[in-house]
Amino acid sequence: MGFLQIGGDIPKVEPDIIFTVFSFPISNTFLGITLVLLMVLSFSYFVVRKFSITPRNHTQTVVEMVYVGMEDLLEQVAGRRDVAVFLAPVILGMFVFIGVANLLSLIPIFNTVTYDGVAIFRTPTADFNTTFAMALVMILFIQMQSIVKGGFFQYLGKFFQFHEVYKGFKKSMGDGFMAIINFLIGLLDIISEGARVVSLSLRLFGNIYAGEVLVVILLGAFAYALPSVWISLSILFGVVQAVVFGALSAAYYSISMPPPDGEAAS
Amino acid sequence: MEGEIMNNVEAARLIAKGLTSLSMFGSGIGEGYLIGKALEAIGRNPDQTGSIFSKMIIGVAMAESTAIYALVMFFII
Repeated sequence: MGFLQIGGDIPKVEPDIIFTVFSFPISNTFLGITLVLLMVLSFSYFVVRKFSITPRNHTQTVVEMVYVGMEDLLEQVAGRRDVAVFLAPVILGMFVFIGVANLLSLIPIFNTVTYDGVAIFRTPTADFNTTFAMALVMILFIQMQSIVKGGFFQYLGKFFQFHEVYKGFKKSMGDGFMAIINFLIGLLDIISEGARVVSLSLRLFGNIYAGEVLVVILLGAFAYALPSVWISLSILFGVVQAVVFGALSAAYYSISMPPPDGEAAS
Repeated sequence: MEGEIMNNVEAARLIAKGLTSLSMFGSGIGEGYLIGKALEAIGRNPDQTGSIFSKMIIGVAMAESTAIYALVMFFII
C-alpha cells in the first residue's frame, strides 16, 4: 500500500454473529436495527409528544413538512387522496427506518466500532435479510388489504380469470381467444407477485451494499478527495432509495386494489 | 494438475464477472433516455416540474435496478 492508498476489507455479503442468546444468534445487523429503532422511538417519545396545535418550534414544522410531503407523493402515485391518507403511516414508517439506516451508515463511527475484530453495528439495509423481510411484509400487507377490500373470490378471480373466458366465448370466437391469452397473463401475475418481493428487496440491498463496497475500493485506489464525492452522492442515494421503496409499495398497492365502486358499475 | 484446474476455475470466474458488468450498458441507455424525455416534458410545461421530477426519480431507480442486480451478481460470483 502506497501513500495514496488506504487498504480495507470489502464487507461480506452475510452478517457476522456477535453472540448467541439461548442458541439464538444475534448478528451485528440486529444490533444496528435495534439502534435505529431506539433512535426513532426516542425521537417520537421525547420530541413528537410535545407537539401542539400552534407550533412552538421548528422541529414540528419540519416533521409536519415530511408527513405532508409524503402524503402528496403517495397521492401522485396512487392517484387518490383517501388511499394516500390510509397508506401514509405504513409507508412513512418504512421510509423513516430506511432513511435513518442509510444515512447512519455514512457516519464513520457507525461501521468501525469493533468487538473481537468484528464490527458491532452493520447498516441494516446493507444486509439482504432485512430488506427481504421488509419487502415480504409490505407485499403480504398489500395482498391482505386486497382480500379485505375486495373479498376472497375477487382476489382469486384476479389470478384465475375463468369467468372472463366464459364471457368472452359467449360473445364471439375472437373475444374468447383474447380471454384465453388474458387468462395466461393472469397466471403470470402469481409469479410477478413473487418477483416484486425480490426486486423491491434487491434494489435497496444492492444500492446500499454496493455503495459500501465502492467506498472501500475507492479508498484503495485513491484515498484523497475521490471517496468524498461518492460519499456525498450516497447521501442522495440513501434518501432516494427510501423514497423509491415507499413509492413503489404505494404503486403496487393501488394496482392490486379492486376498482372503486363508481368504476365497477360502469 | 490440481493447480491448473484451480487456475482455470479462477479464470472462468473472472470472465463471468466481466460478463455480468456488461448488463450495466443497457441500464445506462435506459436512464439517459428516461431523463431526456422527462426534461423534454418539463420544457414543454414547466408548471408540472415537481410531479414529473418525482416520477422521473422513481423511473430512474427502477431502470437502475437492472444494473444493481448485475452488481449483486458480480459480488456473489
